[in-house]
Amino acid sequence: MWFKRKAPVLGDFEQLVLLGVLRLELQDSAYGAAIRQEIHARSRRDVSINAVYTTLDRLESKGLLKSWVGDPTPQRGGRRRKVYALRPAGVAALRQAYRAFTAMADGLQSRLELK
Amino acid sequence: VKKTTDPPRLGVWLLTKRLSAKWCDFIIGDLAEEFAMRSVDSRIAAHAWFWCQAVRCLAAPPPVHRASMALERSRGDSRMHMVVADLCYALRVVSRTPSFAVAVVSVLALGIGANTALFSIVNAVLLRPLPFEEPERLVRIFTRTPAGVSFDLSPGKFYDWQRDAQSFEGMAMYPCCGFRGFALTGTGTARAVRAAAVSAGFFEIVRARPALGRVFRQEEDTPGGKYVVVLSDRFWRTEFGGNPDVIGRTVRLSDEPYTIVGIMPAHASVASWPPMACDLWVPLALSDEERANRQNHNLEGVARLKRDVELAHAQAEMDAISARLAREFPKSDGRWGAVVIPMQEAIVGNSRTMLLMLLGAVGLVLLIACANVGNLFFTRTLNRRREIAIRSALGAGRGRVFQQLLIEALLLASIGGALGLLVAHVTLDAASALLANHVPRANEISNDAHVLLFVVAVSILAGLVAGTLPALRAERSDLNAALKEGGRSNGAIGVGTRRVLIVCEVALSVVLLMGAGVMIQSLLALRHSNTGFDPNNVLSMKVTLVKARYPTSAQRSSFFDTALQRIRALPGVDSAGSIDDLPFIDGSAQPLEREGYTEGSPGGTSVVHVRQITPGYLRAMRIPLLRGRGIVQSDVDVLLVSQDAAKLVWGADDPIGRLARLPLLSKTALRQVVGVVGDVKQRDLSEPSTPTVYYYSRERSWGSATLVIRTSLPPTALAQPVVAAIHAIDPEQPVEDIRTMEQVIDSRLTSQRFSALLLGIFAGAALLLASVGIYAVLSYIVRGRTREIGIRTALGARAADVLRMVIVEGMWPTLVGIAAGTIAAMASARVMETLVFGVSASDPLTLAAVAATLAVVALMASLVPAYRALRLDPARVLRAD
Repeated sequence: MWFKRKAPVLGDFEQLVLLGVLRLELQDSAYGAAIRQEIHARSRRDVSINAVYTTLDRLESKGLLKSWVGDPTPQRGGRRRKVYALRPAGVAALRQAYRAFTAMADGLQSRLELK
Repeated sequence: VKKTTDPPRLGVWLLTKRLSAKWCDFIIGDLAEEFAMRSVDSRIAAHAWFWCQAVRCLAAPPPVHRASMALERSRGDSRMHMVVADLCYALRVVSRTPSFAVAVVSVLALGIGANTALFSIVNAVLLRPLPFEEPERLVRIFTRTPAGVSFDLSPGKFYDWQRDAQSFEGMAMYPCCGFRGFALTGTGTARAVRAAAVSAGFFEIVRARPALGRVFRQEEDTPGGKYVVVLSDRFWRTEFGGNPDVIGRTVRLSDEPYTIVGIMPAHASVASWPPMACDLWVPLALSDEERANRQNHNLEGVARLKRDVELAHAQAEMDAISARLAREFPKSDGRWGAVVIPMQEAIVGNSRTMLLMLLGAVGLVLLIACANVGNLFFTRTLNRRREIAIRSALGAGRGRVFQQLLIEALLLASIGGALGLLVAHVTLDAASALLANHVPRANEISNDAHVLLFVVAVSILAGLVAGTLPALRAERSDLNAALKEGGRSNGAIGVGTRRVLIVCEVALSVVLLMGAGVMIQSLLALRHSNTGFDPNNVLSMKVTLVKARYPTSAQRSSFFDTALQRIRALPGVDSAGSIDDLPFIDGSAQPLEREGYTEGSPGGTSVVHVRQITPGYLRAMRIPLLRGRGIVQSDVDVLLVSQDAAKLVWGADDPIGRLARLPLLSKTALRQVVGVVGDVKQRDLSEPSTPTVYYYSRERSWGSATLVIRTSLPPTALAQPVVAAIHAIDPEQPVEDIRTMEQVIDSRLTSQRFSALLLGIFAGAALLLASVGIYAVLSYIVRGRTREIGIRTALGARAADVLRMVIVEGMWPTLVGIAAGTIAAMASARVMETLVFGVSASDPLTLAAVAATLAVVALMASLVPAYRALRLDPARVLRAD
């Protein structure tokens, strides 16, 4: 491409999902249930599995994620997993969101009662 | 046996039914996995959790597949996506109907091209800043005559102004009437060079800094000062090969050695302003007597306003100074004033009205082109009603249909604009060459960023104008009816809108035809206006003697006498004479004092044009001798006066035998009037004849004259022998400006001819476009009413009835258009009035001719569709239904 493509702006839930994938992808265990649990455990938000998959699908179509299908396991009743990993564009989008957030929050820690 | 960690079967079954195959395995697998984990702690909690998740999945399952996602996205996506999609679609549609595209693009390319070419001229002449530093502060200074006309300066007034005015950084002057003629001598063959004599401070005012050396010093601007010269870049390169060591060397001009002190850079030359368009500059160096002269108005002034000084303030100050000088010098300065004009305005002069009028005219042509293109779009949009209806049925909103049709129009207009730019680029060189020397700054005509912006703006505007009406009409059309019709064209739709387009086209054509008609009549009137002399078969050429070689007036007179004698002896020469300045070339206007005039007595002095002639001039020009006698070789200091001058100076009295004085030539010499001759236009073809006094004197104070030769041969064939006769006397004598008198007159008419030619072309194009428009609309209407005409014919309507019906259909919008156009032409007549001569801009005869032409053209355009209607076979029409 002759021009540099801008990283897309992420929504709040998209950020959570992408961070979940980032945390889990090293063990190749970034699939729907694990991501949902990770979000629940860390952000205390009990989200639905369909919301997670809808978001994962959207992020994949935007080119931020890639996915492949894993092997069936007995715990899942012989059903397969769909495993996700970040593409570089996904990392860039997350980085941008993180920078924007920290920049905006900088100096406000005391008012937000974070210290 | 059911395992306790298995998820509820009903839930799994429901999910299997609801979820697509794409997600089913992954989601149910995930739920089963977590259910098993949670069941370890609490089965009830695990069930509750499972059902909660399952219900949410059942209510809003993840999307089915990505293609559908893409569709969903494009529907709700950004406007830009839609525009791109419409553009792609428009490209496909256009490529499917190439003949339509070619018709639209070529009409628009010509319209936009003509507009762009004319805008390039307007841009170069009127809009682009002058090529000087801070040009807005440069002003020209003139005197204002008691009659209120801006006029040249006299040195006495100039030096008073220069001393007293505080609004200017500096003020300088240079001689009017073109260049000081110099001959470059000492190089073997003499060559005329154009020199500008400028007063001290001139270069500082125009901010022209030398590339090499220096400009003139104050002490060099005096008669006793050294002979110094500054060369132009062009002269330096052609004569000295660009050698930088020329500073300090001498160059022989008219046999006098001048020291080169500086070289101006190439960018300092400004072709549109004579003092900066010359080969070289010399100091003006007026003598003390000349400096004190307040009556000889033969200099032009230039000044630079101080920073933060407004033009109005400078004008007010000059008015105050003039009022004071009028009291101080009542004889010379009484009732005279001063005029300060911005440089741009002074250079552009009266070309502004002409150019703006032409730009307006070419704009009208584009409007007519847009109306025609709009008509084409309209027909096509109606033919595409079914397609549009289907798009609407599939959910395209009215805005979306409108946008898509408009984008098609804009796409074609952009292609037309790009081609138009090409057309303009090709025609510009020709326009520049045609206008050179006749429209100021013509040499600067070129395409630049402004022109590009103009093309873009005009293209968009043309697309909007041509596309909006059809697009609006299309999105209003009835979806149901269109689908029911099934693509059959049934009845004429949008006839009203089309009639409005015809009315507009015809009205605009009336304005253009009227303009062209009036302009052409004006040109003919000027060309055949009575100049007072017969310009046919007359050759003229200018001879400027080198002063150093002919230092005395006797030598100068002898040269011209010998030259004229030899010329008269040439075969084919009828008569020959000379004059200092030909008619239509700036010449001297001076006071003439009657004998017995004393200072302060009223009516004793009049300003007349004064020309020095030799015997033979009047015969060569065929200026009639009305009373008295002509001049002969043996005369000493005699006068001939034109009829106007006789009336102005002596009123009803007979001037023959009276004595008069030309104080600017000699304060004492009284000259006798020996004859009265016919009036001649000296200044401009469009002005009345000017009171003129011709004098003949053995004393020839300056060595420049224009030879005028009447011949029975084609005048140009005589040029070579005449030049040879002059070179036989002095082989180093330059001869310039060899032209026939017809060429001299034609050179005064270039701008009028240019306007008439362009307006004629525009009007012709308008007429053609309007007739094509009428034809297209009528054809469409006849096609739409085929069935009706068939039924009428079957019921016994006569051929004459059908013919009348179609022709009336075409003629009435034409007549409304002619009426509207007549009103518009009357309104625009005020602009034209200043540009035409010998004809009224609202001339009723021309208007009648224009209306008749348009009516006839409309009738012709109606005939083909009418003929087609006549030939309809009712049986076939009704069968086809």
